[in-house]
Amino acid sequence: MTVEAHTESLALARRGRPRFGDLALRVLSGGAVLLVVAAIGLLVEEVVSNAWPSMSKFGPGFLTSTVWNAVTDQFGARYLIEGTLVTSLFALAIAVPTAIAIGLFLSELAPRRLRAPIGLMVELLAAIPSVVLGLWGIIVLGPLLATDVEPWLHRNLGFIPLFSGYPSASGLLSACLVLTIMIVPIVASISRDLFESVPGELKQGALALGATRWEMVRGVAIPQVSAGLVAAVMLGFARAVGEAIAVAQVIGSANRAPSSLFGQGGAMAAWIATQFAGTATSLQRSSLYFLAVILLVISLATNLGAQLIVRRIGRRMGTRA
Amino acid sequence: MTRMKRAAAAAVAAGALAVAAGCGSSGSTTTVTAPGSSSSDSKVLVGAGSTLVAPLLAQWEADYLKSPAAVTITYGAVGSGGGIDAITAKSVDFGASDAPLSPDQATACKSCVQIPWALAATVATYNVKGVPNNLKLTGPVVADIFLGKVTAWNDPAITALNPGVSLPSTHITPIYRSDGSGDSYVFSSYLSAVSPTWKSQVGASTQPTFPTGTGEEHNSGVAAAVQATDGSIGYVGISYIAADSLNEAVLKNAAGQYPQPTTGAIAAAASAVTTIAPDGSISLVNPPASAAKAYPMSTYTYAIVPTASSKASTLKAFLTYAISSTGQAFGLPLGFPPLPAAVVTHDTAEIAKIGS
Repeated sequence: MTVEAHTESLALARRGRPRFGDLALRVLSGGAVLLVVAAIGLLVEEVVSNAWPSMSKFGPGFLTSTVWNAVTDQFGARYLIEGTLVTSLFALAIAVPTAIAIGLFLSELAPRRLRAPIGLMVELLAAIPSVVLGLWGIIVLGPLLATDVEPWLHRNLGFIPLFSGYPSASGLLSACLVLTIMIVPIVASISRDLFESVPGELKQGALALGATRWEMVRGVAIPQVSAGLVAAVMLGFARAVGEAIAVAQVIGSANRAPSSLFGQGGAMAAWIATQFAGTATSLQRSSLYFLAVILLVISLATNLGAQLIVRRIGRRMGTRA
Repeated sequence: MTRMKRAAAAAVAAGALAVAAGCGSSGSTTTVTAPGSSSSDSKVLVGAGSTLVAPLLAQWEADYLKSPAAVTITYGAVGSGGGIDAITAKSVDFGASDAPLSPDQATACKSCVQIPWALAATVATYNVKGVPNNLKLTGPVVADIFLGKVTAWNDPAITALNPGVSLPSTHITPIYRSDGSGDSYVFSSYLSAVSPTWKSQVGASTQPTFPTGTGEEHNSGVAAAVQATDGSIGYVGISYIAADSLNEAVLKNAAGQYPQPTTGAIAAAASAVTTIAPDGSISLVNPPASAAKAYPMSTYTYAIVPTASSKASTLKAFLTYAISSTGQAFGLPLGFPPLPAAVVTHDTAEIAKIGS
């Protein structure tokens, strides 16, 4: 029996009866959606209700207060918010150009034989558990920073406040670099796929018109995929903001102003991870939930911001992103 | 016919789902015996908490299973903070913490009692190239180091205590525990007792806010960071000194002596302090000068148990065993000196409060 004949007979057999398969599909997929919506709803409810004692006690002042002290029961998130933003943005600043360059290399420049193995390695980098990266940060990266990199930066760029201070193995710079390593594979593999999605005719056309390869990339490829690149960068940012374990391992856990990259600091997700077990006061625990609320708001804002930008670029490009 | 086949297929699919669900639930029943959940079997006791007391519990586990009681003790060394959370949630039969419960924790852990069941110490450790073991320090100097007032190893405050030791100008890197820790509690309580500045600026807590230095997770993280950093100073539970062959600083006690943190020096501190606080905690830091040989950063470590337990009799029997001379005898080779008689009497009364 041919395949067509078989499907036809199946269709005949089904005619006139309730379509069990369709019903099951609807129930299953609808149920899955409900599950996600319920999970998010319950999560937000749980986090906010646990954060409530801290929210009602400290109010918006929580965002600007720099004190985090379990002895006096005073809590504020300013340094932790700053630490989160400094480490994430610094990591993005290094990771994004690197990752886009890798994406371009893999899609446009690399010899065909090398593309698959290098691409695989980039993706493997994304598969390394963050705790392993954190350990690498402690054992390899930290000592290297403390003995070589930071003293060099201090000698040559010490006039910039970010590179002043005493070199140390654990600190914001360590956290920035570990986060960079985490973001690069995400942004790199997305941008490679994006560049590969640019129609060959466009690239060929640009080259045929006498554009150099660089002009083709700058004038055709990058504008074509800019919306996607923005989304990739936002994804990387969200990853950096939300990373807890690896950052906790290398940042040096201190509630201090992130005025120098060599110094110790704190980031919200890592702070929750280190402080949550056995909090000394109930207000401290509630304040950790407050940090989680702030993280939720930041990731929501990042997502919405990304969608807005993507839509705007899409409109400008005349295509739907 | 096809209808029946379809019904059969649906039944098989439903069966498969049920099996899958069954796997899920059997998966979670296996975790019941792991630390984190109480088991209803009264031949099993589940505990979680302090890493400091874990080596002693390992000995008790092995011995108590062979004893006539034949009860299996399953202990998860998740840290004092994790132990307090676990017993507060009543997901274990007992918790273990090197710090007594804070008032908020005691309220949350409804009608829990804390039973001091072993003696130990927190030890200051350091790593400075060329500087030998047993550097002499005083509490106020350690406080000034962790306050960021003494920043070089050749500071007069340190050299004056160590004539004959050549100290380099290396920058001091203080290293502390970033997670909630009994060792941080002992360390900061000791510094609060000997340094008014520390008391007013930092205070005593399982998670004090250190004004300078680097935070690392768990004893293992502090030990590793001290070993990796030239010029570092930190504090760890006593068993980590030998395990990681770390230097130990000797601290000046109230009598002006510099005793090493031996079991004898810890026992001397314990026998000099007889005050038991209403919450059942006993503070051993900075014992009076009458105890000339006392180590000044000694501590009790506590079992935290609910007064209403579904396994009351098993729990009571195990705790009685732990504080008995049989149980305490396992401690000595591991660095835990036996409990003083007065504390054993107090504990016995506390254990009697446990009911079902």
